[in-house]
Amino acid sequence: MSEHFTRNKLKQNSHRLWHSALGRVVVVLATAFGASAAHADSTLDRIHERHQLVVGVILSGPPFGSLNPATQKPVGFNVDLAENLAKRLGVDIQMIPVQPSNRVQFLQQGKVDALIANMEVTTERAEILAYPPTPFEQIGGALITRKDSGIKTWNDLRGKAVCVSQGSNYAKPLAEQYGAQVKAFRGQPESLLALRGNNCAAAVHVAPTLRLLVARNPDWQDYSIPESNDLIPSPSVIWVRKGETDTQNAFEKIVEDWHRSGWLIDIERKNGMQPSQAVLDLHAKFKAQSA
Amino acid sequence: MSQGLPEAAVAALNKIGLNYSFVLAADERASFIHGMLVTLELSVVTAFFSLIAGVLLAAMLTSPRAALARPARIFVEITRNTPTLVQLFCAFLVLNMLLSQALRELGGNPLTPFIWSVIVIALHKGAFHAEALRAGIEAVPRATLEAAQSLGYSRRQRLWELQLPLALRFALPTLVNNMVDLVKMTTIASAIAVGDVTYASIMIWTQRDNVLELMILILLFFGALTFVINRAGRWLETRLRMPGYGH
Repeated sequence: MSEHFTRNKLKQNSHRLWHSALGRVVVVLATAFGASAAHADSTLDRIHERHQLVVGVILSGPPFGSLNPATQKPVGFNVDLAENLAKRLGVDIQMIPVQPSNRVQFLQQGKVDALIANMEVTTERAEILAYPPTPFEQIGGALITRKDSGIKTWNDLRGKAVCVSQGSNYAKPLAEQYGAQVKAFRGQPESLLALRGNNCAAAVHVAPTLRLLVARNPDWQDYSIPESNDLIPSPSVIWVRKGETDTQNAFEKIVEDWHRSGWLIDIERKNGMQPSQAVLDLHAKFKAQSA
Repeated sequence: MSQGLPEAAVAALNKIGLNYSFVLAADERASFIHGMLVTLELSVVTAFFSLIAGVLLAAMLTSPRAALARPARIFVEITRNTPTLVQLFCAFLVLNMLLSQALRELGGNPLTPFIWSVIVIALHKGAFHAEALRAGIEAVPRATLEAAQSLGYSRRQRLWELQLPLALRFALPTLVNNMVDLVKMTTIASAIAVGDVTYASIMIWTQRDNVLELMILILLFFGALTFVINRAGRWLETRLRMPGYGH
């Protein structure tokens, strides 16, 4: 009898818990929507008010972003861009490290004002977020493989296991266009370790990172990047929340100025990157406009 | 059939800001369902082997022979005291690499990421099962054992026919607890590209950035799965209850 009683009570309790949890979720959702509607575009004002720009950056490894082991400070291309963005707005910079899996939430929930997070333009992303129309780079994927693997072009990947990192937008084209068996590992380091462990025939990651790896790291001397054409080269942009036209326009002016002054090309070379043809073209275009 | 139930449900959820449109894309829906099946398969296979590992380890741990008890104790301590994810990475990225190199001439390495996940999680949870069973084995009253001995039961018979059945009843709540934990632990297999439900979700939200929506689905899925285990455990408890023993 008594056992029955406690079990019923337990059931009631768990019902109540479940209901209150549901209620909380609804409240959270409601505030999230309310908030996004309320500051339609007060972001630029708020940046100036608190005299600080908050940017979400990805620190997944050089040349884009990494922690300097000596100073524990973030360094790299993303970091340089974020710092200069704040400098040109005349405010301080705060950088928040984000992951491919949480970066959109950080932006949507207002934890960051903008994302400089290796996030290329796709139609799905453009539906939920906005960006200044001029890209700061055009970045595609490169494939790294053992020199003796026999893989020379993207087409050689058909039916072969290819390592990528989880959250990579190369997974879809590799599987659909080139018929590769995609294996997505937690991050780029795990994927590259899996390549070294022969768990896949090749690995595909952002081209500048792999080029730097092959060029500078003696551990990778048995590996090469045989294909010179990048996979789905796409524009890299600064992402902001949808509908924030003021912020978008302010960033657009700065990005155009990066191209016009040639600062962008210098900063890429400083970080060991090779400016893409798209960036060189944009430099020429904006320079011609101002002349 | 123009506006079926799934379409209506997706549209309704979209109104409150939840983007479940992936359900309408045949390939993504298929990969999510496949992911759920892989999680089930991984859970069942791992649970089976973890029980075998647990019983063997418990038998070794309670053995009077130091040659059996010592290695089992060392193994339990090492597996129990290190993070499973680290073990998985160690096994898959280090051991597997060495094994691949050694077996290169012999036609390659037969161990897949799925098998490595089963090995690592089953041994890890096996160590926990072993400790739970040991508690049960040691809870068997001396008088009962002496009675069995006087009836001519050998040590092996005492273990299999007396200690383990009684230990199982003592350890059952803990074992069920371990099983719930085991099912949740299978998500770490996604880190080495086993296509379970978490992995399938990651691949979908990579394209669609609908992390929240998929997280809700994953939570509901694991909630349902562990609920079933919980019920099965309760059923077993009442089923195995012996009048006058413990309860």
